[in-house]
Amino acid sequence: MAAAAKVVTPDFEVIVREHQSMVFSIAYHFLHDRPAAEELSQDVFLQLYKSMGALESAEHVTRWLRRVTTNRCIDQCRRSKLMPRIGLDQVAEPAIPAGLPDIMLSRALSQLVASLPANWRALVILKYQEEMETEEIARALDMPVGTVKSQLSRALDFLREKASRMLRETV
Amino acid sequence: MSRLDDALRDALRREAPPEGFAERVMARIQAAPEAVGGWAKWLNAFRRPQLRWATALAAVALAVGTAEVRSEMQRRAEGERARDQVMLALRITGGKLQMTREMVRRIGYARREQ
Repeated sequence: MAAAAKVVTPDFEVIVREHQSMVFSIAYHFLHDRPAAEELSQDVFLQLYKSMGALESAEHVTRWLRRVTTNRCIDQCRRSKLMPRIGLDQVAEPAIPAGLPDIMLSRALSQLVASLPANWRALVILKYQEEMETEEIARALDMPVGTVKSQLSRALDFLREKASRMLRETV
Repeated sequence: MSRLDDALRDALRREAPPEGFAERVMARIQAAPEAVGGWAKWLNAFRRPQLRWATALAAVALAVGTAEVRSEMQRRAEGERARDQVMLALRITGGKLQMTREMVRRIGYARREQ
C-alpha cells in the first residue's frame, strides 16, 4: 500500500522562501560553486524541518540557519580539502590604490574570499554578507570575541594585500 | 568606513538561489522518511516482512532454548537430590559400622580380661 502523502505545513515553505537567499548566498560565497551551494542549502532546510520543534521564534530560526549553514560550509571545505594554508608571514597591510574600478575590485575580492581558510571565510561572509557584529559572529560560531576580532583583522589584512596586488597587475 | 569594507559588502551581497529552489526543498521534504523517534521507530521497523520473519525465528529459538535450559536445570536438581540421599545413606552406614566396630572391640577386651 502506498504511504500517505506527508503533510508539510505551508508555513515551512514561507520560511524557506524568506531565508533561501541568505542560506544560498552564505553557501555560494563559501564554495563558489552554484550546484554545491544549492545542495548544501537544501540539506540545511531539510535539517531545519526536522529541528523546527526546538526553535522558539523567527529570530531563533534565522540564527540557527546562519550557524548551521556556516558550520556545514566549514565542514565541507575541510572534507574536500579546499582550505588553502596561509601563513601569518603572508599578511601585510598595504592600502588599495585609489581610483581603481569598483567592479574589478568586487570581482577580485569575491574570488579572494573563496580562497581564504575556512574559518576566516566564515567570519568575512558573516560580517559583510550578513552585516553581523563581532559579538553576534562569536555567538553564532561559538568562538571567543577576541578570536573573532583577531582572525577577522588578519583576514582583512590578507584580502587588502592580495586585492591591491591583483589589481595592480590587472590595470 | 574603508573602501575595502564597501567592496566586500558589494562582493558578498546576497544572491538569489536558482529558480525553483524552494519547490525542490519542499519536494525533498515530502520524499524524506518521516522523522519518528522512540517506540514508533521500533514499531515501524517491525512492519518490514524480513524483520518480522527474523523476529519470529528468534522468538522460537528463544522458547526452545529456554525449555532446554529449564529441563537441564531440572535434571541437575534431581541429580543433586540423589547425590545428597546417597551421601546421607553413606553417613548412616558409616556411623553404624563405627558402632559395630566399637561393640566388637569391647567384647574382645571383655573376653581377654576373663
